[in-house]
Parts: sequence; C-alpha cells; structure tokens
Amino acid sequence: MENPDSITFQVQDSIGIITLDFPPGNYIQVPGFIPLQFLEQWLGSESIKGLIITGQGKNFSAGGNLERIFEGAGDLASISQLVEEGITLLNRIQDLDIPVIAAISRVCFGGGLEIALACHMRVAAENALLAFPEVNQNLMPGMGGTYRLPYLVGLPDAVKMMLGGDMLNAVDGQKLGLIDYIAPKDQAFEFSMDLMQKMTHDRPLKVIKSIMKSLKNSRVMSREEAMAEETRLFCSLAMDEAERRKSEELA
Amino acid sequence: MRTIQWTVEYGTGMLMLDQPPSNTMTMDFFREMKVIMDEITAGQDLKAVIIFGNGRHYSSGADISELLQHVDQQVMLENYRAFAQLEHLDIPVISAIRGVCLGSAFELALFSHFRICSTDAVLGLPESSFNLIPGIGGIQRVAKLAGMAKAIEITLRGNTFPAAEALAMGLVDIVVPKGQVLDLAITFARVLPWNTDKVNRQFYLHKYLNQLHATAS
Repeated sequence: MENPDSITFQVQDSIGIITLDFPPGNYIQVPGFIPLQFLEQWLGSESIKGLIITGQGKNFSAGGNLERIFEGAGDLASISQLVEEGITLLNRIQDLDIPVIAAISRVCFGGGLEIALACHMRVAAENALLAFPEVNQNLMPGMGGTYRLPYLVGLPDAVKMMLGGDMLNAVDGQKLGLIDYIAPKDQAFEFSMDLMQKMTHDRPLKVIKSIMKSLKNSRVMSREEAMAEETRLFCSLAMDEAERRKSEELA
Repeated sequence: MRTIQWTVEYGTGMLMLDQPPSNTMTMDFFREMKVIMDEITAGQDLKAVIIFGNGRHYSSGADISELLQHVDQQVMLENYRAFAQLEHLDIPVISAIRGVCLGSAFELALFSHFRICSTDAVLGLPESSFNLIPGIGGIQRVAKLAGMAKAIEITLRGNTFPAAEALAMGLVDIVVPKGQVLDLAITFARVLPWNTDKVNRQFYLHKYLNQLHATAS
C-alpha cells in the first residue's frame, strides 16, 4: 500500500508517530486523511504502546483544505461521504485502546483542532494557537468537534469558540480544559514523547489496553456495565500476575 | 469486626480502617465493609459518615499477595458495589485522608462525597506497576473528577503524588495540616444538611469548608 498523501507514519521506541506532513500549514487534504486500513495496519503491531499525532515543522495544522469541500459543491451526497469518512476516522482514533496524544505546536485550527479533540490527551506548546474559524467561511466544525468540545469545556465556552471563531492561546486553552499540558515553546513533540514514555515504557501492552478500555467504557457504558468489564479485565491480569509470581518462585 | 472500627458519635458514623500501621485492606476488610454498608443502608439513623485510618495513615490499599491467591470476579464486583453504595447514600460521606492513601484505599476515598486531605498525604493508583489495574471503580471516578488525560496519566504511570497535586487535579476537595483533618471532617459533618442530594454540593463545599478552614487555621 502506498502511504496516503501528506501523512507519514513512523515508530520510535514502541510509540507510533503520525505526522501531518504538508508544511508549512499541514492542511488536511480530505476529512478522512488516513484511510482506515492504513491506520489498522500501522497500529496492528503488538509492539506499539502509544500514538502521538504531530505536525511537520512549526505548525500542527491550519485545518482542512476547503477547496476539496467546495469542489463538490452542489453534490450533497459526495460532500456527506467525505465528511462521513472524517468522522469515522476520528471516532476510530478516539476509540483506540492505546493512549493517543496530540502534540500541538503553533497553529491548530479547524480540522486540525478536530483531530486534536479526538486524541485522549492534548499537549500544547506555550506558543500554540487554537481556533475553530469555520464560522468565518459560513461553515461549522464538521468532524465531531461540536460534540467533543462541549464535553471538555462546557457549553458556554464551546458556543463562544465555535460562533466567535476567535483564537485562544495555550494558557487560555488549558484554563478552559481544552489543553491538558503546556510544553515549552516549540517543544510539544518532545514533551509528548517524554510523557508517553513515562506512561508506557514499563507497562505490558495488556495493562495499557485494559486501562484504556476501562476509561473508554466510563464514557460509553453505564457504570454497572463498565464495572462488570473492568473487574473482568482486572481478574484476567491478576491471573497472569499470580501465574508469573508462581513461576518466579519456582525458578 | 477485626479490620474496621465502626462507632456512631453524635449521629455521625465513624468508620476507622483499623489494621495499623498501614491499614492494609485484606479480604476480611472487604467482608466487614459489606456488613457495615448493609447496616447503614438498612436504615441506621445517621447524619453523616466519616472514613479515616487508625494512626498516621488512611490506608496503603489492598493486600496484593492475598488478593492474587483468590482472584474472583464476583467478589471484585461485590467489593465495588460496597464502595459504590457509599456514594449512593443520601447522607454526606467524608474521607479524612492522612498519610498514605493508595490503590484500593484511594478508590474507597474516591467514592466518598468529600475528600479532606492532609498536606503530607500521598495518594495514587499504583496498580499498573504491579501489572494490574485499579479494579474497584477508581478508573471511572478519576476520569469523572480529573478528566480523561489526567486519568490516563495517573493510572498508567502508577505514580504517587502529594496532596497539593491531587487538589489541583480535582481529586481532593481541600488540603489542611494533618492535625486538623479529622476535626475538620467532624465539624463539617455536623454543619452539612441532612440530605446532600437535595443541595448543591459545590455550594456547601465552598461556603462551609473554606470558611471552616479559615477559622481553623
């Protein structure tokens, strides 16, 4: 398979790195910027413990390439199809059972912010800028942002961001709950890599996946269902660990 | 009861984790916890419940080696339900946290409605460093209180953190010197209205707890 346009994937110390690679703006060419089969193939390896999404060069991403959307003007079905692919992709990323960090440097607008919102953790460099400017083009965030943003920042600030289209800096983003960690200027990737290593380096993949599944369940299941699943995951790990300790004693 | 001392003082249920020095949570503890919870929910006339540890510590959490010898999903679920019952009580449940509060003990505290914490307390969910996960609902509670990112970080890293950090993450409600923790919990229990479901918890938290803290110090 040939890699999708303007996106690169590499693995460094068991961490997958997806780079939005179309500098300087790293515009997202189509909403479904990574075909799902690529994502599954990239992350299919049992050795990958986490994923970082970052931008090539100085910026994260200035957003979607709107030309592609406007080219389809008049054909609602083809626009819907494009947008649907983007929504499916971001849902898949959000549902991954390894941690996903958005390493946000400088510009993170529109579609770029949609991608960041689908990640589990958002690290922004102190010189990062965040915005949903779609409203200025008579559009709206169309890849799940209208759903994800209020969950993080509450409805009033979500309305303000999406209707105002104004830019936020990293510190204001953190105050709102949109940004989880602030990294030094232009150091978002390094900070993210360091955080990811601290979280995953000494952990077996099964522990990582069990925790991520339980956290996802807290979002999508009733508490009772989530707990049934969590105790099942716990007991499976406990059996493994009991076994491991036994064989260690014998050795 | 061998692992818990349960007394009622002026209408407040005092639940003391009593296996000093670190009040480790054994199988016996969970069994006794269920008995007490059934007693409370059966309608014992109480105004509040305060959970605290005997001595310097709240509790270091579950006895892992004992637990690994009796892995049983049904028992785990029952343990969770006993903790969750606390949260569903219509009287305030306050954890007074001093010293270490780790793993299952932190999970117990997370099911309380209020967490009053000493400046020198050490908290965390270190289960992942034993190749396990928090199994009594801590993951769910931390995600709700601190958000997804912090929940991922503390459960995967399994690191311990001081009270001030827990406060910044929203995992405890107030931090005071250790000598004041239990007194503050008791005073707070007495001023709280009967049924916290009917009031805005945040309102009482800010209004009374901070006021009490200001007068206490």
